[in-house]
Amino acid sequence: MAQDTGKARNILVTGATDGIGFLLAKSYASRGHRVLATGRQTLSDDAAYFGLPNITYVTADQAFPAQAAHAVDAAMERLGFEGLDLAILNAGVGWTGDPAAEPAEQIATQIDVNLSAPVMISATIAPLLFARQGQLVLIGSTAAKGQARFATYAATKAGLAGFARSLREEWQGRAHVQIIHPGPTRTAMHTKAGLNLGLARMMFMSPKRASKAIQKSVRNHERQRKLSWFYGLRALFSRAGEGRL
Amino acid sequence: MKALITGAANGLGRALLEQLLDDGHEVIAVDIMTEDLDRLAVQSRGACRVVMADMANVTSIERCLRSLREDKLDLVILNAGISATGKFEEIPLGAYERLIHINLTAPLTMAAGLVGQGLMQRKGRIVFVSSLSHVVGYPGASVYAATKDAIAIYARSIAKPFRKSGVGVTTVFPGPIRTEHAQRHAPKGAKENKRMEPKELARMILKAAKRGKKELYPGSAAGMARLAGYLFPNFMTRMMRRIIFDKLDGNTY
Repeated sequence: MAQDTGKARNILVTGATDGIGFLLAKSYASRGHRVLATGRQTLSDDAAYFGLPNITYVTADQAFPAQAAHAVDAAMERLGFEGLDLAILNAGVGWTGDPAAEPAEQIATQIDVNLSAPVMISATIAPLLFARQGQLVLIGSTAAKGQARFATYAATKAGLAGFARSLREEWQGRAHVQIIHPGPTRTAMHTKAGLNLGLARMMFMSPKRASKAIQKSVRNHERQRKLSWFYGLRALFSRAGEGRL
Repeated sequence: MKALITGAANGLGRALLEQLLDDGHEVIAVDIMTEDLDRLAVQSRGACRVVMADMANVTSIERCLRSLREDKLDLVILNAGISATGKFEEIPLGAYERLIHINLTAPLTMAAGLVGQGLMQRKGRIVFVSSLSHVVGYPGASVYAATKDAIAIYARSIAKPFRKSGVGVTTVFPGPIRTEHAQRHAPKGAKENKRMEPKELARMILKAAKRGKKELYPGSAAGMARLAGYLFPNFMTRMMRRIIFDKLDGNTY
């Protein structure tokens, strides 16, 4: 997406019921774009949940990657999307603990949700992205360099980074591929992964800040971007930067 | 020494198996196609045991782990892998599902299971097979590259926690190998003689495992690619596109 010039664009955000995805979906929709939001929950009233009429929600459980890709595809057809300007594949899950004690189903689920589903969704939406020379944005993690107590999670995020690296070259001139690696963010993910953070949470980036930083990175078409925890700290001391985001 | 190799029927796995048997070790050979391995097991007079398992299927992997209950392994080489090459968006989703299960879910499930269930000997070692694509990228096989990057980072992540159980970890980053499987995925006009012989690679892997090396970039070409990929990551991926993706003739999966 070049600039917010007022033209309504078609946007997909996965994992949008919560955390960074929720804020991204709302932020784009509040600027008049058409947003297709996905999540694993079933929502009884999506207009009320998001509080904006131009967000359409579809249930797409990424633990079943092919089904999730088909659900996204079908929803875009129902919405009459003839092209896709921006897709932010943000949904992810984690498990934390001693890797030798990691249950097989946790390994499989993280790989399905964090890697297989984004791969399959990317393949499915490719023609729509090409139609608009759109932007595919994958949400990785700073853990992608390796982390002892998040071994499988780190692996899936490294997989996404590698996927982005090679696909960017393949899709050159047809669609733009980006990967953004947020550092630890104050979302529900850590609790869901079984990690009690205590005071460490204070150091984490707020989801609002992460969402804004992601949008900035999307506007700038950055190939890759790390949002480290001191990004939040730096922003705290230079409030001046806020207006631009 | 007692060793286990996944994907032992063909290619690199087969070369590793034969080398280990030649050196007088006991080997558990895991693969989905076992006819040929069964013959080899008979000839080996008990040194080789065959376990049939489908690495694309978690239930089958768990069954394989259960069949190893009585074993204490010194060396495990998680070698089984497949590829999918061509235009990313043209390859069917089912091929990606299989690729990710075999190349990623399987080795992670095996590694966690082997150490978690106490099937590894103290001072034992697990070898993961990543790819040189980890340092240079691989347009034309972006999902294969994703699985190999994931393997490399998993191996790096578990090195410390596994050390507590006395288990070492080695990751191998091979470039092109002269196997039937690699041949199918190679671009048009790729030079056969520039590919590494599976036998030679098997020797290097076993030597690296014995010495407790953390990483192996086999051969001088791999070493050079590693340096170039480190210094000029984006340029190298662009080169890979020209060398491979632009020359691919159709999709293979």
